Amino acid sequence: MAEVSIEWYIILSAVLFTMGAIGVLLRRNAIIIFMSIELMLNSANLLFVAFARHLNDLDGQVFVFFVITVAAAEVAVGLALIVAIFRTKRSINIDELHMLKG
Amino acid sequence: MNTFGLAPLLLILPFAGFLFNALVGRRFVESDNRSIGEKWSGWTASGLALLAFIIGLSLAFSLAGNDFEGETIRLFNWIVIPSANFFVEWAMQIDSLAIVMVLVVTGVGSLIHIYAIGYMHGDPDFSRFFAYMNLFLFFMLVLVTANNYLMLFVGWEGVGLCSYLLIGFWFDRVNEKGQWMNADAARKAFVVNRIGDAGMILALILLFWVFGTLNFNVIFESSAELFLAQHSVELFGTTVSIGAVLTIVTALFLLGAAGKSAQIPLYVWLPDAMAGPTPVSALIHAATMVTAGVYLIVRSSELYEIARLSGETILGTLSSSNLVALTGALTALLAGLIAFSQFDIKKVLAYSTVSQLGFMIAAAGMGAYVAAMFHLVAHAFFKALLFLSAGSVIHGVEHGHHHGHEPGEADNFDPQDMRLMGGLRHRMKITFWVFLIGALALAGIFPLAGFWSKDEILAHGSLNPGVVFDIVYILLTVAAFCTAFYMGRQLLMVFFGKPRSEAAGHAEESGSLMTTPLIILAALSVLAGVLNFPFLSEASAAAAEEAHDLSYRVLLEQWLEHSLPILELEGELEALTGINVPDTPIEIIYFVALISTVIALSGLVIAWFVYRRRPETAADPDPMERVKPIWWFSVLPLNTLYYTTIVPAYNWLARFLADKVDWQFWHDWFHDRVIRDTFVNFSSWLNDKFDLNIIDNGLVNGAGRATGWLASQLRITQTGYVRNYALAVFIGVIALLAWFIYIAN
Repeated sequence: MAEVSIEWYIILSAVLFTMGAIGVLLRRNAIIIFMSIELMLNSANLLFVAFARHLNDLDGQVFVFFVITVAAAEVAVGLALIVAIFRTKRSINIDELHMLKG
Repeated sequence: MNTFGLAPLLLILPFAGFLFNALVGRRFVESDNRSIGEKWSGWTASGLALLAFIIGLSLAFSLAGNDFEGETIRLFNWIVIPSANFFVEWAMQIDSLAIVMVLVVTGVGSLIHIYAIGYMHGDPDFSRFFAYMNLFLFFMLVLVTANNYLMLFVGWEGVGLCSYLLIGFWFDRVNEKGQWMNADAARKAFVVNRIGDAGMILALILLFWVFGTLNFNVIFESSAELFLAQHSVELFGTTVSIGAVLTIVTALFLLGAAGKSAQIPLYVWLPDAMAGPTPVSALIHAATMVTAGVYLIVRSSELYEIARLSGETILGTLSSSNLVALTGALTALLAGLIAFSQFDIKKVLAYSTVSQLGFMIAAAGMGAYVAAMFHLVAHAFFKALLFLSAGSVIHGVEHGHHHGHEPGEADNFDPQDMRLMGGLRHRMKITFWVFLIGALALAGIFPLAGFWSKDEILAHGSLNPGVVFDIVYILLTVAAFCTAFYMGRQLLMVFFGKPRSEAAGHAEESGSLMTTPLIILAALSVLAGVLNFPFLSEASAAAAEEAHDLSYRVLLEQWLEHSLPILELEGELEALTGINVPDTPIEIIYFVALISTVIALSGLVIAWFVYRRRPETAADPDPMERVKPIWWFSVLPLNTLYYTTIVPAYNWLARFLADKVDWQFWHDWFHDRVIRDTFVNFSSWLNDKFDLNIIDNGLVNGAGRATGWLASQLRITQTGYVRNYALAVFIGVIALLAWFIYIAN
């Protein structure tokens, strides 16, 4: 079985990151935006792991652990915020959250 | 042994006297025992003057021991300006000429100080008077002991100041018309003297310009050298001969001398100066200060003679010396004529002083410098005597006036009016006799001092050839007649006939403090002729020859020889130019002496016939008023001319300058209209237009508006939609990445 080269990982990672970014920019549902952010983080993780293996260097994998840890914490805070917003606005459509507009 | 080291005391002593009387004299005079306080104040001043006289005498003996050669005592460097090469030291030149003046100033000065103790008795400003008198002595001694023209000028201005202060001593007195007579007279003297001083300053500047120094000896030596070498000097871009420069300088000196020594055209201040106390008139306005002009010309004799020998003339007619001689002679005659019409006892003497100063100036102008100094000394004696006797008369008449009136009672009695006197010879015997001696000496009666000194001047005029000398001789001879006549008139009006007022009838002789100096001065007036006695000239020269001792040569001419460098240079200069320096004989010319004696006697005799019995009462007109031509000439002096022409013209000009130029043009128009209005307009424009519109509205509010506008524009970007912010972040990241890639390549 042929070795999967590093380019493929990079392309996959870029596709995932682009999907995440487009999701963040275009979707209005706060949960989906949240999931898109996770997608972007994980595309970065994928790239870290790929390069770690490609370069035979464990540093990249160590970074991924850190990213996963921070992402978990972020999800906890972010979901809590979304729940709080839903309670007051009865909606999580972020276009309705523009009260800080100048 | 010589005592030249004592010379600084000549200046220190009078100045110490000034300080004493100026600072603490008043305390003494106003102490409980006023008569003792007055003695402290007066005798300190007089004693210091007397001490200065003794030092002067010792300096004279030192000079004799030094073969009459002068000595310079350097005190300190006064002005040091190395960049302009301008150095003036404060140094005293003690030579025979200076010592003659020192002895006259301190000798006559001391006597007058002593007299003044009696005369000023009871005056509320007793100590102020003596402070000024000592200050005057100080400045006069600075003037005569100077070794450079600038120091002389300090003394010159200083005595002018003292003259001003003393003429205006009773500055609060007003006459019946409410005019401030004394203060006005003081101001007049000051202003007129400024005109002469302008000439002095110009002469000094010119001398410094040409010679680079103001030292007497350096200027005299280099002017003789430059003249003998026929050098020219650069002046204002043109080349002029040294003779022309000296002609200008000496003519300017004449202007200065005309101011100080009261000559035409500036004599008008001296008669008014009689408003001062009589001792002042005697000391300053007869014996010493007014002779400063004569001293200046004699001191600068070499410059005058070189100017004469150079053949340079003023306006192509007269050499500066001839101008001096004619000025003096004309003044002598004019002032002698004016004296005919004066009724004030002191004004007669004042015009007489002007006239006698004219004799001295004329003598100096004719080159008879020794004769000028001789007359100066003799005149100092007999004119001081006459003034002090007049003071004694005034004192006596005032006393007589108080006999009939309460002192301090307001009235118009004038104790100086000769029409109110008469017959005083019985009541004031000593004063009469000394006055008689002074009057005869002044008139030039043999063998009193005036005869010898005046005769020497006249002999000089007749001896030398030339139209100018002839004119001067004739003018002076007529002036000598006038002198005899007005002195005869004064003698007769004051002392002979019957008393023409109650005051004259009760006049009393003055105290011994006043009469003693009079007697000493009278003795000097009799004997002063010996100073330059013609018959002793050869005898003393022979005695000196025999004993090989120059100190036998004591006559004024032999004595002054040593400080008039022109007398030594004469031969050399004559050989160069072929013109003769005028002879200065010390011989008596019997013909001239006879004429002047006859003229003097006839003047007295005519006065005797005219004034023997008249005027009988105070209201009688003067007999001379009938001789219209002489009378009119006599009462129309230059003073009237000035007050009808120059003074109104000057006042008009001053008023024009003040009202029109200064007030209307300068103040009202230029200051108010031009400067103030421009400024007000400019500042209101600044306020209304610039500040309100540009600063407030434009800059300050504009900055606010601009900020507001910018904020409103920026607010558009703040949509509040999360995705917009995310997009901005996204674009930002891409831009940064692009930037990093760009710089990485």
